[in-house]
Amino acid sequence: MKPGLYEIAARQAMTRRRLMQGVAALGGAVAMNGMALRPAAAQDNLRAEILKIPGVGAGSPTDADWQKVGEMCLGPTKANVAEGEFAGIELTFMGLNNQNLHNVLFRGFLKPWEAYTGAKINWIDLAQADYNPRLQQAIATGTVDFDIIEMGAPFEGDTAGKGLLDPMPDWVKDQIESDDLVAYLQPPVGTWDGKTYRITIDGDCHTLSYRKDYFGDGAIGGAEMPKHWEDVNAMSMAVKGQTDPLTGLPAYGFLDPLKGWGGFGFYFLEDRASAYAKHPSSPAWLFEPDTMKPMVNNPAWVQAIQDVMDLNAAGAYPADQINADPGATGFQQFLAGTGAAITWWGDIGSNARTSDTSVVGDVVGFDINPGAKRVYNHAAGAWEETENFAPNLAYLGWGVYVTNRVSGDEAKRKAAWSAAAHLGGKDISLWMAAYPSGFQPYRNSHFNFDEWEGAGYDRAFVEDYLGSNRDSYNHPNAAIEPRIPGIFQYYSVAEDELAKGFAGQYGSAQETADAIAAAWEKITDQIGRDSQIALYKASLGM
Amino acid sequence: MNTGDLLHVVTNDNISPARAGFGRAILWGSVGLFLLVGLLQTLQAGGHLELGFTNWRPTLYSYALMSACLCWAQVLIRGEQGKRVLFVLPAVLFVLSLAIIPLIFGLIIAFSDWNLSSPLGRQFNGLDNVRQMWGDPFYWNALKNMVWYALAILAEYTIAFGLALLLNAEIRARKFFRVAFLLPLMLSPVAVSWMIGKSMTEIRFGPIARLARALGWDNPSFFGTPEMARATIMLMDAWTYIPFMMIMLLAGLQAIPKELQEAAKVDGAKGWRAFWEVTFPLMLPVSVTALLIRLIFKLKLADIIINVTSGGPGGATDSVTSFIFREYRDRSNVGYGTLLAIVYLVFIIIAMLGLLKLADRWLRPQT
Amino acid sequence: MTQIFKDSDTDLAHRAKWFTGRVAIYGALSLWAFIALFPIYWTLTTSFKKAPDVMKGAMVPWVDYRPDWLGWKSLGLSPATIGQESTVRAEFLGRFMNSLTISVSASVLAVILGSLAAYGLSRFSYKFLWMKNSDISFFFISQLILPPVVLALPFLVLYKELALLDSRIGLILLYTLTVLPIVIWIMRDQFAGIPTELEEAALVDGLSIWGAFLTIVLPIALPGMVAALILSLVLTWNEYFFAALLTSTHANTLPVMVASQTGSQGISWWSMAALSWAAILPLIVIGVILERYIIKGMAAGAVK
Repeated sequence: MKPGLYEIAARQAMTRRRLMQGVAALGGAVAMNGMALRPAAAQDNLRAEILKIPGVGAGSPTDADWQKVGEMCLGPTKANVAEGEFAGIELTFMGLNNQNLHNVLFRGFLKPWEAYTGAKINWIDLAQADYNPRLQQAIATGTVDFDIIEMGAPFEGDTAGKGLLDPMPDWVKDQIESDDLVAYLQPPVGTWDGKTYRITIDGDCHTLSYRKDYFGDGAIGGAEMPKHWEDVNAMSMAVKGQTDPLTGLPAYGFLDPLKGWGGFGFYFLEDRASAYAKHPSSPAWLFEPDTMKPMVNNPAWVQAIQDVMDLNAAGAYPADQINADPGATGFQQFLAGTGAAITWWGDIGSNARTSDTSVVGDVVGFDINPGAKRVYNHAAGAWEETENFAPNLAYLGWGVYVTNRVSGDEAKRKAAWSAAAHLGGKDISLWMAAYPSGFQPYRNSHFNFDEWEGAGYDRAFVEDYLGSNRDSYNHPNAAIEPRIPGIFQYYSVAEDELAKGFAGQYGSAQETADAIAAAWEKITDQIGRDSQIALYKASLGM
Repeated sequence: MNTGDLLHVVTNDNISPARAGFGRAILWGSVGLFLLVGLLQTLQAGGHLELGFTNWRPTLYSYALMSACLCWAQVLIRGEQGKRVLFVLPAVLFVLSLAIIPLIFGLIIAFSDWNLSSPLGRQFNGLDNVRQMWGDPFYWNALKNMVWYALAILAEYTIAFGLALLLNAEIRARKFFRVAFLLPLMLSPVAVSWMIGKSMTEIRFGPIARLARALGWDNPSFFGTPEMARATIMLMDAWTYIPFMMIMLLAGLQAIPKELQEAAKVDGAKGWRAFWEVTFPLMLPVSVTALLIRLIFKLKLADIIINVTSGGPGGATDSVTSFIFREYRDRSNVGYGTLLAIVYLVFIIIAMLGLLKLADRWLRPQT
Repeated sequence: MTQIFKDSDTDLAHRAKWFTGRVAIYGALSLWAFIALFPIYWTLTTSFKKAPDVMKGAMVPWVDYRPDWLGWKSLGLSPATIGQESTVRAEFLGRFMNSLTISVSASVLAVILGSLAAYGLSRFSYKFLWMKNSDISFFFISQLILPPVVLALPFLVLYKELALLDSRIGLILLYTLTVLPIVIWIMRDQFAGIPTELEEAALVDGLSIWGAFLTIVLPIALPGMVAALILSLVLTWNEYFFAALLTSTHANTLPVMVASQTGSQGISWWSMAALSWAAILPLIVIGVILERYIIKGMAAGAVK
């Protein structure tokens, strides 16, 4: 605990707030001028100051910290909205309460926004497992009762595709400085039929996190972290039975989350499969674009499933891994010092240093997902013996969207977009990327390593961590998932069949993959093959 | 089957024609009002009229009014007989209106192809869902698991009976033990799943895992194999619900007249024999009730499985309800999911009817 | 003084047997008390642990680890945060009040409706259409069997049309429906155990059926009603599925918040434990205070 640092940050926040109030008191027009003319140095200062709340090493931030950050980042809102402009307006915001993150943070962030604008926000908090069913039921039964929604890009097919969203006004684009988004989050992601709907608040990809103390001269895992899945498996087998250098407990190699997770668990098999299956010549790697025929039972995917089965059979996973929640694998196992490597979203990186749970902050290293030494060309139906890397841009990140419930009411519409834009602001996003929030970097400006160093991060750590994210985002052969309706149904049923396969109820990896493919065909037929083909092609930009 | 009322009442109803007339008037008046409001709202919903209704609340209110008038009219028209009906009528009306209407809608959904993500919406597909169910290994596997789960009730019953006997013995601090034994019933399944299912069985730091290691099980794994996982789920569910059976059995034990046991003692029956020959037969009726209620709760077992294992490994711990939840919630396949639930309901009703009949016949000689 | 009375050998053997019997009884009682209470103790202590303490599996506060308000801090209920404004605490308290209102109202309503119906069924023979008493009883009890999934979408649509979504009254009605069968089941046994002579005497004295029911029967059946009420409270307080489906902002209850403690970030054991504990506390209090009524209430009708 560093109470000293925290106190300093808190004091600075106070003076800053008083300054802002002073500016606001001068009146709308003057305030706006003040904002526009705000020197760049002041903004840098603000960014540096919010990063000090509560400070790296000061434990997980609390509600008071979120409110403070929200208050300090109100600048762009004040430029577009007069004080009290939304008095009397009530909005409903639906999002996740993901382990006291997401919505819980938003509540803190938006409290000062509510105080300033006079609007009131009602919250719908959903557990992650309830999110998808609730959204689908609301759409199907016409019970959409929210004005603002936190939603992942994969659901754009379900919502924007059905005309349920409100297109983003241009002033919002300016306020959130959307040009700053990294390339892969630029349109077509977030757009539908050429209209923009999404305020991005998160960038998602899986990257490799590994323990540096497992590798090096004389270390148990070999000279360095393997770069290919074939070698990752060999490493896992090799460290079995050894002792973890940090905790003194039994050592384990790569951690595959094997249990279902309402669809999210399938991403971890994708991490392995994309290296074998995502051929640089085609963006498609889950379905054949012309027929929606599943590719999941082609030799590449079968190889990925086989890799996991091999490790399972060899006992290379911790006990009960087959029933360990993916979240537990990442946050209770890897961060707590069990296992040499894991592929996960980027929040493992920020949590490694700031979360109360983590003990590996000093020994964790990052890289893009492992590749494979050969790649399967689905069109040609043959393996090619060339090295292949294909980072899995899993889930494409969370965004904030506004529903068409507010489209008819200009004041309400502006209020909804203003609230959403506050959460997607450039400065606040830096804080969210740096502290436990459930979100990871998604703007080019997040990759300014000096800011992180100033906040107390170790320069080498940050370059390593952020670099792996940036390299995945910008990878030419990145695997992008389809934004088609019901995509999580496909993942969920695949999880069920995989669980059976891993439990040994199918004869082989091929049989498991065939069962998944058969189940996927059923879903495609049920949702409608023609419309799925059209949407799939659109989402791949074909 | 008793043919008459248990409580015989001499009725001397003098219902004046005016009172009966008033009763009929409010009854038919309220029915008419309900039909009128319902019709108007239907017309508006069909786009034929614009009356400014924003929801179906008016129909609801007129329905409630009609129900109230129906109850009142019973007394007005039928006097004493009506007053008797009035005991049961509110509950019947309540359940009918709240369960039957949704249930009918549920039946419609069950015979439809309705994936919430499909742009086509709900479409009838006749018996396709039934055919799909026939060939669905996950569903039959879950039904098979349910048999195991149901059999576990017998073990729970034995433990619960033992605990009830203990609590019924001459002991000190009885109040403390009763409260302590009762508490597990109070906990929410979600909290039980996490704090016991995940925290206490955690392989590295969980106290149960550490106890297992101390007892010589080197590499404890509570969910690794199908049998083990199923047993763990059974234990957690038993932990929650044993208190429920225990209090029912304890209540039964305390209601046994002391003289009976004294008499048995005089006859020289001691220990086990006294239990088997006197206590146990007397406890049969309450045991059957406890077992049946427990069975019903067991058949709905889902929360713990959903939270702890999601049915894994490979469906070994799936209960029917937890499987339906996955089909229904994770895959938005509501038509098929609802059909599975309704088929399950039919299974249960048949089984319960049979069991009730059986219990009835079995207990008859004793009562 | 010399000892005059000597225990005979048989007496001693009897003593020893009695003594081992006592040891066995108290041993078994203590063992089960430990099994029943340890998870609750574990939950409470976990809410005061920090991450390394959790990972160590520390057991005894102040001995194995230094208690910290971590879990309660995340709820805004620790000494340090209790004075500050906290959006999390506001959310928690709001949901707590909703849970309280909804579960108490639904349970009371169910006990009223259920007791009436159970009394009627135990005293008179009815005939609605083809249904006799036993059929009516089964009709009620079958509601208990109904899998919630069957009702989920229909209720969503029905409630939307009736503007009952996200309203306390909507949940109250639904919860009443779900616990009504168990109330009827318990109360039917209750009333069956009360001799009809009591009411007959009252009727002779000139009371009406309802008068006899309210003044004579109800007071006798009160423990049973309390037992039914407590069971209903437990079931409604912990209900999760419909709460997650039918509420959003104004009527949301605690179990959904407990479930939200998990997600893509794994789980914070301390806040999960704190929230779980805060959520079960009211039921524990009820259990301690009203426990004797449960047994008493169930006893009346248990052995016919």
